[in-house]
Amino acid sequence: MWILPISMLVVTVLLAIPLSRYMTAIMDGKYEVPRFLAWFEQRLNSGPQNWKQYTASLLIFNTVLFVFGFIVLALQPWMPLNPQHKGLLAPTTIFHTVVSFMTNTDVQHYSGDVHFSNFTQIFFAFTMFFLSASIGFCALTMIIRALRSDSSVGNFFVDMWRVVVYMFLPICFVLAIVFVQQGSPMTFKSFRQVSTLEAGAMGTLENGQPKPQTIVVGPLAAFIPMKQLGTNGGGFYGMNSAHPFENPTALTNFLSCVAMMLFPFGLVLMFGRMLNRLRHAWLIFGVMMFFMLGTVVWAIYFDTLTPNPGLTAHPIARTYQVSGTNAPGGKQIVTLPAVAGLPVDQHLGNLEGKEMRFGTSAGATFAALTVDVTDGAVNCEHDSLNPIAGLSPYAGMWLNCFFGGKGVGMINMLLFVVIGIFVAGQMVGRTPEYLGKKIGGREMKLAMIALLVHPIMILIPTGIFAGTSWGMKAENNPGAHGFSEILYQFSSSSANNGSAFDGLGTVYGFNDNPNPAPMGRQWDIASGLVILISRFLPIIAPMAMAAFLGAKKSSPFGLGTLRDDTSTFAFLLIGTIVIIGALLFLPVAALGPLAEHWGPLPFGG
Amino acid sequence: MSHYISKSILLLVFTVVIACIIYPGAVWLVGHAFFPFQAEGSLLMGPDGQPVGSKLIAQPFTKDEYFQPRPSAASYDASASASSTLAPSNYLLRNRVATMLGPIVKYRSGPKAAQLVAPDVETWFQQDRYQGNPAIVAQWADLHNGLATAWVGADPTHGSYVDSWAKMHPDVVANWIKANPSSPQPKAVDLAVVFFENFSKENPGRFPSAVTRPGADGKPQNSIEPVKDGLDIQTTFFDMWRQDHPDADLQNAPGDMVTTSGSGLDPHITLENAEFQLDRVAAKWAADTKREPAQTRNEIEQILQANASAPFAGLAGEKVVNVLEVNLELRKRYGAPN
Repeated sequence: MWILPISMLVVTVLLAIPLSRYMTAIMDGKYEVPRFLAWFEQRLNSGPQNWKQYTASLLIFNTVLFVFGFIVLALQPWMPLNPQHKGLLAPTTIFHTVVSFMTNTDVQHYSGDVHFSNFTQIFFAFTMFFLSASIGFCALTMIIRALRSDSSVGNFFVDMWRVVVYMFLPICFVLAIVFVQQGSPMTFKSFRQVSTLEAGAMGTLENGQPKPQTIVVGPLAAFIPMKQLGTNGGGFYGMNSAHPFENPTALTNFLSCVAMMLFPFGLVLMFGRMLNRLRHAWLIFGVMMFFMLGTVVWAIYFDTLTPNPGLTAHPIARTYQVSGTNAPGGKQIVTLPAVAGLPVDQHLGNLEGKEMRFGTSAGATFAALTVDVTDGAVNCEHDSLNPIAGLSPYAGMWLNCFFGGKGVGMINMLLFVVIGIFVAGQMVGRTPEYLGKKIGGREMKLAMIALLVHPIMILIPTGIFAGTSWGMKAENNPGAHGFSEILYQFSSSSANNGSAFDGLGTVYGFNDNPNPAPMGRQWDIASGLVILISRFLPIIAPMAMAAFLGAKKSSPFGLGTLRDDTSTFAFLLIGTIVIIGALLFLPVAALGPLAEHWGPLPFGG
Repeated sequence: MSHYISKSILLLVFTVVIACIIYPGAVWLVGHAFFPFQAEGSLLMGPDGQPVGSKLIAQPFTKDEYFQPRPSAASYDASASASSTLAPSNYLLRNRVATMLGPIVKYRSGPKAAQLVAPDVETWFQQDRYQGNPAIVAQWADLHNGLATAWVGADPTHGSYVDSWAKMHPDVVANWIKANPSSPQPKAVDLAVVFFENFSKENPGRFPSAVTRPGADGKPQNSIEPVKDGLDIQTTFFDMWRQDHPDADLQNAPGDMVTTSGSGLDPHITLENAEFQLDRVAAKWAADTKREPAQTRNEIEQILQANASAPFAGLAGEKVVNVLEVNLELRKRYGAPN
């Protein structure tokens, strides 16, 4: 039960320590490579950049990536490796998919096994996997260099090359071999057809022959390592890492978890090493780990150790007095009758939407970890998690700094650090300082912009969709859970996470689909815009903030300086995160998962 | 600026060549050199040497001779994986589980220990009282509008049955239109609830269900008729029966047997689930092959044990068995089922 998550975390920490040393050496340019690799690097190098040039490069590159992604998706019907003749996706779905993959979000309004050919999977997804993951990484690197007041913040294109080729590629290759050995297909064929062992069990064809089983295959073994390592999370199949080819054994599940946590862990330590403030970085690491453990324990306790409440007995009838305008005296009595349980053995917890081969607590563990590091792959159906266990993924997405995605998670945490220091400075009446630099009004404004984009982009669209047919016609579950589905979609979009409550009707499908999800277009556009805004503002504003901070004179360390490597500071940081998170998101949690948990079960029907 | 655009394109081109061509190509080479079986989808060969399925992908089994995989929200379609996406609070989840349980649940203790509850569900249904009130079917339709509507839409014969009922009951339909002025020409699905209410009044202790009998030309013909027992009663009304008998001591079914998996293609069931199905499977094979039942059961039990394994040698979870591998073993040992 607990061995699985603990061993995952311990193994990842042990791997992240040497990895962070390697990462620091690479990003500081202290390495030698063979001549032919150096040749590529020289071609890419446009010279030392300042923060504005670096940011401009980042944005221009994203634009190029967008155009490339759009073209690849739009050309699907005319490209090779498409024996099933998969057609053109709806234009809004193409827009959403490109935006989603380009920003490392990977919310999917399509099913890979149904809608993508192998050509698209390879040339669209592989490219996006490697590059989008590197962009956040480079943004953090730039911020670190700015904070330590380097004369130049480096070169964006060289940094990208370093991350893709010297870091991701070798680890990916090793993992890919393990995945293929464990059972992930590695083929350029699109599907295999087999007769079933019991002929006709799949039904019969029109000509009376037993129907074969069509099994979609593809270059899975190469696909998954980068999906996880880059915390991308976009599945080859619709059901992502729950699919037996995408995650064939308990070992691959273990490695998938380690792979998605590896770089987020390592980046925090790299932050400390590059700034020469390793103790401070370990402290931030500890705070992140504290929250991450919290989400894992919460999810396991309420999902693996608690049976599915839809099947169990609720022996005591409950009566509530609620206000009702039509009732006499304005009071209405609502009775939730007692419910008898169904005879189901649930000692393994809630098994709806879980796979059996990963181990007992693997579904809940994966659900918590995948949102904490903004991966977004899933190995169980989050829609079917116990209502209150669902709070764990929500918390991970709302606060988005329990390690977070590559680079961006650390950047988010940096915002909380700056705000925490600012608040503490206000309380004791001293000028707040971080890394010896005075935090002024301009830096605070930038930090607040970056921080507030996230709740605004979750709460306002959720409100709009929940109140109109855009959301109500897409819900798959009645009552509070339908609201939860809408909330989850925008939380996942804004957090650049990518997991989803899959019941929500967001899939328009092919452009000529006669029966698309009625609100597919609206979801594509709204979610796409949320993703774009929530990706770039919270990267650019902190880059500017770091540049302004770095440009300031360092003030000497004095008796009155707030130390950033003590337990006091850790508690300050935890307090800041808890208070800000609770203020922003507790009301909406009460309407969704909490209402479902304490409301009538089962409901509707 | 244009400088950055050209560098961006260069970076993109380099990455596409490395990530989309060299990297997957290298993995493909290594995969096919060392692990060709896995790289091509882990296909298992049947008794006639043809591939019968992938070791990693669940496929359906309907015959009692075979162990059955977990129910699939994707109908075992390995080209469109899917989960049920039903929330615990959604009644459809409970209904799906209750529907599966109805025909197979047994008493755990008491005078009827180890006997099926299904006959008792039918007897209770025929008495037509739920929670002390008459008309079970009418109450069912009132409580679960969605299920009643779904029944009408589930099959064309259901729809035409309701249509012909509507023709015979113009007064009831007229009343319904008066209460729902927005639908002046109701379709069969719109009338689902009022149909069941009226049906229940006219056929107490009955439920409309498909019945097969020889037609005028001697061929079997399907028609919908009011019935008082059978599978539809056992499945549809098990949950209501349970609510009327909350204290009946029943045997628990394994959790993974009644829940759908995340992918809809989970190739495994728990060993517990397999043991739960063992009596049925063994009895059927013993009858098919005219062997001694106890010995057949022992043999199959051994096959299960030999195929069972737990993730990380039991450190992280309980034992599971691969359904296709076990069934393939049964097929090879005992031949084709009757």
